[in-house]
Amino acid sequence: MNMPMRRRQTRELRFLGCLALSGVLIALYLDQALRLTAHTGGGYRVIDTQAVTRRIESGELRDREAAWYRPSTPDETGGHPP
Amino acid sequence: MSTVTCELCPHACVIPEGAAGDCRVRVNLGGRLRATTYGRPSAIHVDPMEKKPLYHFHPGSSVFSLATAGCNLHCLNCQNWQLSQRGGEEMEEVYRADPAELVAAAQREGCRSLAYTYSDPIVWYEYVEDTAALAHAQGLTNVFVTAAYINRAPLRRLCRVLDATNADLKAFDDGFYRRVNGATLKPVLDALVTFREEGVWTELTNLVIPTLNDDLAMIRRMARWIVAELGADTPLHLSRFHPEYRMRNLPPTPTETLRTARSAAREAGLNYVYIGNVMGDEGNSTYCPRDGTLLIGRSGFVITHNALTAQGRCPTCDEPIPGVW
Repeated sequence: MNMPMRRRQTRELRFLGCLALSGVLIALYLDQALRLTAHTGGGYRVIDTQAVTRRIESGELRDREAAWYRPSTPDETGGHPP
Repeated sequence: MSTVTCELCPHACVIPEGAAGDCRVRVNLGGRLRATTYGRPSAIHVDPMEKKPLYHFHPGSSVFSLATAGCNLHCLNCQNWQLSQRGGEEMEEVYRADPAELVAAAQREGCRSLAYTYSDPIVWYEYVEDTAALAHAQGLTNVFVTAAYINRAPLRRLCRVLDATNADLKAFDDGFYRRVNGATLKPVLDALVTFREEGVWTELTNLVIPTLNDDLAMIRRMARWIVAELGADTPLHLSRFHPEYRMRNLPPTPTETLRTARSAAREAGLNYVYIGNVMGDEGNSTYCPRDGTLLIGRSGFVITHNALTAQGRCPTCDEPIPGVW
């Protein structure tokens, strides 16, 4: 009589543990997703450079030098040479 | 590796060679930042000035309007995302129009102004600056329709060739800017003050989105800030939201919400508060803040009545109405 009862309790405890773990994982995922959403730029976008170059060569885009930029500092590039 | 840092807008993108800034159109090629859409617009139209919307700047005139691809914001409710959320190399339609050609085309179309609009013209800064300088030389005026997410130094320089702006003030809440637009509030407020300091005629647009920025307390705070920093005569357009792009889960703004918001903004001290995107509403029109006379009646983008005197005054009480008439 005791054995099945103990097995059931163990099963329930495992189930509750799984639920708690899932909750923690979901919370961690949401936290990371919200941080990413709240990030307001400062990065860059990887683009199809070949497509851009091709379009510049064909005259569909321009290679006019932009204003308002400077070489990055090592601080900005995470210690790598800019 | 020749990484560059863009100093045009507060994103301050650190861009390695072969990549673009957050705006997709300022590209690092060979260690030099290129404005790839210079002279390559993807949208050109002749619009009524009321569409910008500018209600106190040459009302009823036509404005030659253009845009290139790219934007430094990523609004979940963007109405022009096919244009703004793409790089130049992703556009099907790219026209070739150098500044002189644009100014000549505007004159041919009988327009007295050019508008840099649709996407955010901040990211095609050089194209705007050169075109606007030429337009001024030909006696035309320049209108800048923007979300105002730009650093102060570049904006100050650009203001020399701008005459009017309609700038978005998307909410008076930094969290909203971060969640919905991918930006922050403070630089926008700084830019609006810069427009005022530089003498650019400024009107503001606040798109009222149900549940996200329709809180009356916030609208009152925003109106009070406008009165204190820009002046009580700054026109504010409260526009109706329509579900678009990645925000199709919310309904259009109820007209009653806009009317209540308009009353709140007027009670906070603003003299000219308009309702946008609601055809035929009383809030489309301009009234004398002193005696309530209907000065300019509008239905949508059409002027139905204009009683303003040639000097820009109320015909009943002679109150001067601020604007560029």
